[in-house]
Amino acid sequence: MTEPSDFERLVLEQLDSLWNYALNLTRRSDQAQDLLQDALARGFERFELFDRSLSFKAWMFTIIRHIHVDHLRKSDALRPETPEWLAEGAAEISESPLYAIPLDPEAILAHRESVERLQEAIRHLPAEMREVIELRDIEGLSYREIAVIVKRPMGTVMSRLYRGRNLLRSSLVEQKPEDKSAESHRGL
Amino acid sequence: MDCNDVKARIFSYVDGELGAEALAEMETHFTGCEGCSRLVDLELRFQAAYTRRLRPQLVPSQIREKLTRVLADLTAGTRARPRRALRKRVAVAAVAALFVAVGAGAALLAESVFRSRGSLVDLAEAAVEQHQRLTRDVLPPDIHGVSPKIAEDWFRKRLNFNISLPDLPSERLKFRGGRIWHLNGVETAALGYEVEGSDVSLFIVPGEAYRKLGLKEPPRFRLVTSRGYDVIVWRSQVNGVGYALVSEIGGRACVVCHSPEEIHESAATLSAHR
Repeated sequence: MTEPSDFERLVLEQLDSLWNYALNLTRRSDQAQDLLQDALARGFERFELFDRSLSFKAWMFTIIRHIHVDHLRKSDALRPETPEWLAEGAAEISESPLYAIPLDPEAILAHRESVERLQEAIRHLPAEMREVIELRDIEGLSYREIAVIVKRPMGTVMSRLYRGRNLLRSSLVEQKPEDKSAESHRGL
Repeated sequence: MDCNDVKARIFSYVDGELGAEALAEMETHFTGCEGCSRLVDLELRFQAAYTRRLRPQLVPSQIREKLTRVLADLTAGTRARPRRALRKRVAVAAVAALFVAVGAGAALLAESVFRSRGSLVDLAEAAVEQHQRLTRDVLPPDIHGVSPKIAEDWFRKRLNFNISLPDLPSERLKFRGGRIWHLNGVETAALGYEVEGSDVSLFIVPGEAYRKLGLKEPPRFRLVTSRGYDVIVWRSQVNGVGYALVSEIGGRACVVCHSPEEIHESAATLSAHR
């Protein structure tokens, strides 16, 4: 039996993350499989060019995203245009992170929300914010790695992260209807 | 650094993204500001309670198995390629002779089979990639378990060009199924066959796809080896529709479009003319 190659070993170590990213981009399991398989083939062919200043995961994410955007552009019969948030030339987010004051997380801590509810709330974020939050908070990538993957300046990445996190917190502290109902039953 | 500056950088601080200078300024501010100190403490608690517990979802086991197999094939394919490529060249030469005799056009094979890389090679590579996906069940067929005639009707309702599927009764040949394949934004037909236990794919491509691929000359009949596979590409002079046949079994794959008798006779004719 032959030893697995470095590429094979690195992919298997990160397979869950690679799968999640492909699934998050495509939103469909069958398309995510196609996308990931294409990315594995391309990554394998170009492994010698692997930019070691990035983590292997970030490098593969870059490939996955590039192929996904390329597919969207080519399949113009199904999707007339690439979604703006994925386009390389997408407009900058105008506001600076300097003006994005983080929302106090105390209310969320007091609510004792579950991690599952947080994950659900992430899924409902606008796509460009969701992508950055997932790359940072779930995959643990650095701001610079995220900037390379999404092909946007670091300032844009930070802005999306700040706004996304604040939006996420806002959605978490909003009371669910059943909470209000329970409170009224208790006479609150 | 005032409180607003600190609040604006608080995510960078808890994410460990600040440079040494900014970090020192933040920590100096925290020592003298109870409000900001409390805020950063809450952020760290929030991270510990939620963010650090977020994990990517696990790949479903079936999909993990498929991807692991694909990965193993990719790496094994590269290790095995050199020896196989030599064997394939011999097989491809035989297939070339065979197709000339079968009637794809006697004057069509004047050009060298192994030509420098061009768009036709790109088409062959794309066909091989698709063949690999089909045969590894990464791309399930849109239609299967039906006769070629029914599949032909199915494709004709969905594609904007006329296709004719070969329907040759042969024990050596089994039609597996097909699916729509998007090639450079153009819908094409991808068909899977089993020939003597080996996978063979036939791709039927409208003239529009050739134009998008930038093929300047009409490729009437060409043979290409790509990633160890034999790819035979030809094009109908009647309607401009192109075909790419991908296999690992050389001339035996011709049974998809030609009866064994035709192939036998053609080989004999070729032999007599030598």
